[in-house]
Amino acid sequence: MTEPSPLRRAATQRPLLEYKHVCKTFGAFTALDDISINIYPGEVVCFIGPSGSGKSTLLRGTNGLDPFDGGEVFFDGQILPRKQSEVRKVRQRMGMVFQNFELFPHKTALQNVAIGPITVLNKDRVEAEQQAMALLAKVGLADKADNYPVNLSGGQQQRVAIARALAMQPEVLLFDEPTSALDPETIGEVLSVMKALADEGRTMVIVTHEMSFARRVADWVIVFERGKVLEEGPPEQIFEAPKVERTKEFLSHLGWA
Amino acid sequence: MPDFDISPILESWQFLATGIGVTILLSILSMAASVLFGTVLGIARVYGSRLLQLVITFYVDTMRSIPVLVVIVWIYFAVPILTGINFPPFWSALIAITIHITASVVEIVRAGIESIREGQCRAALALGMSWPQVILNIVLPQAAIRMLPAIGSVLSVTIKDTAIASVIAVPEFMKRAETVASQSYQPMEVFTFAIFVYFLLLFPTTRTIDFIYRRVAHLGRS
Amino acid sequence: MTLDWSIVWLNKEALAEGALMTIVLTVLTMSLAVPLGIVLAFMRLSKWRSLALLSQCFVELFRNIPLILIVYWSFYVIPILIPVQFSAFTTGLVALVLCVSAYNAETFRAGINSVRHGQTNAGLALGMSQLQVMKEIILPQAARRVLPILATTWVSLFKDTSLVSVIAVGELSHVALQIRSQSFRVLEMLTAMAVIYWMMGYPQAKLSDWVRKKFEVKE
Ligand SMILES: Nc1ncnc2c1ncn2[C@@H]1O[C@H](COP(=O)(O)OP(=O)(O)OP(=O)(O)O)[C@@H](O)[C@H]1O
Ligand SMILES: [Mg+2]
Repeated sequence: MTEPSPLRRAATQRPLLEYKHVCKTFGAFTALDDISINIYPGEVVCFIGPSGSGKSTLLRGTNGLDPFDGGEVFFDGQILPRKQSEVRKVRQRMGMVFQNFELFPHKTALQNVAIGPITVLNKDRVEAEQQAMALLAKVGLADKADNYPVNLSGGQQQRVAIARALAMQPEVLLFDEPTSALDPETIGEVLSVMKALADEGRTMVIVTHEMSFARRVADWVIVFERGKVLEEGPPEQIFEAPKVERTKEFLSHLGWA
Repeated sequence: MPDFDISPILESWQFLATGIGVTILLSILSMAASVLFGTVLGIARVYGSRLLQLVITFYVDTMRSIPVLVVIVWIYFAVPILTGINFPPFWSALIAITIHITASVVEIVRAGIESIREGQCRAALALGMSWPQVILNIVLPQAAIRMLPAIGSVLSVTIKDTAIASVIAVPEFMKRAETVASQSYQPMEVFTFAIFVYFLLLFPTTRTIDFIYRRVAHLGRS
Repeated sequence: MTLDWSIVWLNKEALAEGALMTIVLTVLTMSLAVPLGIVLAFMRLSKWRSLALLSQCFVELFRNIPLILIVYWSFYVIPILIPVQFSAFTTGLVALVLCVSAYNAETFRAGINSVRHGQTNAGLALGMSQLQVMKEIILPQAARRVLPILATTWVSLFKDTSLVSVIAVGELSHVALQIRSQSFRVLEMLTAMAVIYWMMGYPQAKLSDWVRKKFEVKE
């Protein structure tokens, strides 16, 4: 097992997420090739890397939506189960935010946020809706509670999606490029909600192409390429003094430094 | 399971085969006529005067509410009384099915035209085209491709409707199968064979249209 | 040419009974073909290949043969295959149900498939079970696409019930055609039949348009 980096803030604790030799293939194509990484409690970890490098695949395997072919994931010390009924229990403790929001179009913003607690946790409707209202207020959308997703802007929809994930009181939040389907004007409002969550000390795993956000908010950055970890380290290292030449090329390609 | 004796089918194969020929001919003619009239009326339904639009809508909705069987028997039995002209059953069926199917085509053409974005027309008008040119060169070709799947299912309906022409004794396949079935006292064999024939006629037809559509779908996007 | 419309009035009761029978057939067929169509659609979507294949064969077969042939086949062949004598009404109903449930199966399958895969993932990510995802997320969205098509199928079915007249089920067209051949008032009877169908069918067609407008998916 890789030794925790002394640079990592929470590295003395047991990792909340521990990937051990994770592999995934699609037919003859290897999307993830022996990935071993750790995510520690309270950390904001950003996954960056070129398109097709396997970042989303890694995220989807984390909550078992698209299980890995080889290796293991440990969540809070427990191996991620393969049985549907058991992996559900784990998913209830992880929140996921999608690139295309995936709000349920037949439900209002409030109902979207309340549906998880109501159907999965069997919470009382009134109570769930009260909590949902508080979460909508938190993402700045209390006045849009009764809107259907069609009547919300992209940034608003994504903020509702974040509130929906929060409603399950997850121990970790998984974001898959939460801003890449957004108009430039609305990216900021979503990023600032995410920044606020990071400041609360939540554990977050974020796949992103927003390099300045990663630089500012991440505690730890992992660079992927072709299904492998190219380099990992604190943002200062990755963005200012990358140790691997390919990282430098990738960043300069994006116009960074 | 009773024995399956196909001798009546073999004995009257020519009789049945010409029936299939009539079915195909009736299908092709009614489909061609329906597409022709349906396109003209469909264009009129979208671009015509208010009154014309109302009349066409009324015709379409009337055909949506009356069974094709009723149209067929009405044309065959009632029109001669009104006009004094006697059509042979084949022609009555052709007219009736065309009147019925044209209404479906009108709706499809209308929906196809309305699905083309206005920007496409504006772009063409900006090039200096006249309205007829815009409709002919820009709107219809794109709409035609989008309409393909719906036209495919109308073709399937048309072929099935020709079987109803058996009630006025058009010598198409359904009628002939019925005749052979009752004369041979072997309805199971004959009607099961008829199921095969219709399936072999309909399934490849609809599949081919779906296949063509998948090949050209991109040309209809804008 | 002299027309005598009194023939229609004289037979008003028989015609009304025929019209009622047409409605009964439509309602009964649809109420059987909807659950059957749902079962067939879920068979088609199931993991078990043989179930899926069975459903697919059923659906493709009955979508690709004329209803009138299914009616004849049911009338002449079912009594040979199974030693039970059904009434003409039951036979006609069976034929209609076979045909319409095949159409409905396609409608339901397409409706379910039209919901993006990401929606399933979003539900699963919240910790829902497959069943909860189906009930809370997929089916409500599929319903919006299914209802307009069901309404269209309803209108077609209403018209198609006329085809069971060939095996002498006493619905509207059979009754009208009977009176025609007994009375020789051909034009009057046939016109009356068309008008009665029109009076019943026109509101249904308009209603189905309204359903389509109301449930139109805007995304
Ligand atoms: N279901 C699938 N079937 C086949 N190949 C897949 C599938 N999902 C992903 N892939 C392939 O796996 C590779 C990794 O995909 P992934 O979506 O994880 O990349 P990514 O790093 O998230 O890229 P992006 O930045 O574009 O989102 C890609 O080459 C993709 O084509
Ligand atoms: Mg991705």
